[in-house]
Amino acid sequence: MEKITIKGRGAIKGIVEGEALVCPKSIAGWGGIDPATGIIKEPMNVNKGKTIKDKILVMSGSKGSNGWSCYFGAARAAGATPKGWLFTSIDSSSGVASAIMQIPTIVDFPEDQDPCDLISNGDWIKMDGNTGIVEITKK
Amino acid sequence: MILTEKEKSILDGKDGKLKQTALENVVRYADVLGAKELCEVTKATVFCGAHNYLNVCKTDDFQELFSKMNLGKDEKVPFDKTHENCYVQSCVAPCDQFEYKALHQSKNYFDKNSNFVDECRKAGVIIAGSCAPYLTGWLPVQGEHFVTTESGVTTIGNSLWGAMGNSDGIEAAFWSAICGRTPKWGNHIKENRYATHHVKVEAEINTLLEWDLLGKAVGMKLPTSSRPVIDGDFKNVNFTKLAQFFTTISMASNCEICHIPGYTSEARDVEDAFRGNEFQGEITITEEDLQYAYDLMCDDGSADIEFVSLGCPHYNIDMLKKVAEYLDGKKIHERVHFMVWTVYPIKSMADLNGYTKIIEEAGGKIYTSSCPTTVGNVFLDKYSNFVFDSYKQARSVKSDTDKPVYYGDMYNCMDAAINGRWEEDNRWKK
Repeated sequence: MEKITIKGRGAIKGIVEGEALVCPKSIAGWGGIDPATGIIKEPMNVNKGKTIKDKILVMSGSKGSNGWSCYFGAARAAGATPKGWLFTSIDSSSGVASAIMQIPTIVDFPEDQDPCDLISNGDWIKMDGNTGIVEITKK
Repeated sequence: MILTEKEKSILDGKDGKLKQTALENVVRYADVLGAKELCEVTKATVFCGAHNYLNVCKTDDFQELFSKMNLGKDEKVPFDKTHENCYVQSCVAPCDQFEYKALHQSKNYFDKNSNFVDECRKAGVIIAGSCAPYLTGWLPVQGEHFVTTESGVTTIGNSLWGAMGNSDGIEAAFWSAICGRTPKWGNHIKENRYATHHVKVEAEINTLLEWDLLGKAVGMKLPTSSRPVIDGDFKNVNFTKLAQFFTTISMASNCEICHIPGYTSEARDVEDAFRGNEFQGEITITEEDLQYAYDLMCDDGSADIEFVSLGCPHYNIDMLKKVAEYLDGKKIHERVHFMVWTVYPIKSMADLNGYTKIIEEAGGKIYTSSCPTTVGNVFLDKYSNFVFDSYKQARSVKSDTDKPVYYGDMYNCMDAAINGRWEEDNRWKK
């Protein structure tokens, strides 16, 4: 199976692996997920109906309101937490969400290594938040 | 990361567990962003009520819930003090300050919300209950570092006042309000505030609704994380119009700073807004863009209506005066729940000036401390359609329900409330 390795900036330490869920246009903040289950409920989202729980969540960044982080914080409290998080480029709302989630997080990838372009739903991801290295096994 | 001696001592726990935990979170947040140091925050708005997303925690114990949700801690770290140098004021809660029956809420839920708000007050938060903190004097000045839970206020603060803030969010606002620090990153650094995109406005922008639509039209065309300079031949500009515009552009994009030459503090002209920064693109806004933005938010057709809400962001006293003047001697249709939203002290001014009496005699009601979408579906589910004078409120309610949403200026909305019907004639057109 094809393997690709990319490298971003390790933002929160820890080594995890899991199945990718890719949201290139992010997830709407206020009300975009059901925090109890982690299921995405944003009407226009390509992954509507899928859960963020136990996934390696791959996103461009945050989107919309200052309430973006709290739905992810609520998911943490409810145990619907992803295993790890990859952001093409970090912004303040996604920074807060990461800080509250406290899961391994890698951010700020080079322009030619955008994880939203290189990773598809279902790919197997090994990520190392200490070094920023992401190993992608295509499904 | 470079930390001051004071920050190191807070992290060592010398100022107590709460401040230590808040600063640990801020430092982790700064690490995620890649910030090299922190800056001192002296203005904060925070989200205090028993909001619906908190229901995932099966507890009514405020302190347990606060630690879990706002501090990310499963152990209880009591929230009992805000930072001594920070002016901390509360944002909207999911209840009116006094009413609950009219919003179809239970006494139990209302009491729970009141308790949560009161616990925050005891910790040092000034209870205002507003998305428009500037109405009560919360006004960060040029160069002052602030945090806020309201995205529109982030953009107003950065753009209009030249204060410095990011859209960091609900938890981070509490961390900063407690430890008085935020990562020195993004808009907290001067060089990150210069314009990236030139927006040429060909459409004529004059009324409050047109400024609201301009916010959506520009927001839809802006690339992620861009900083526009809005260039047009604007007349009769005032704070209410600019606040409406900044509120809507922040909802329609992730814009946090937006320069308007001649009106905002870091743009004497277009060139000044760029300060030599790389020009990344030009966007043109025409009358068609405004019409498109309007048509996206106002459903087609006519209908008997049940629900009309004005005031997002919360109305100032001049807007309440306009409502009272228009409704004087008129009657709202008996089927319609007509509401005007503001902040408590402005409601008191409306009482003092006789506006409340006129609005109530017409069959309407002034509410405070919240808004329809923040109250949520327990309220919205009781109605079959909605009329709003704000893009943000209309959009938020549209994503909460599948029911028709109509949107127009305050006078169109009041006409609809009086007639009990939304008509095609109420639609905005140039």
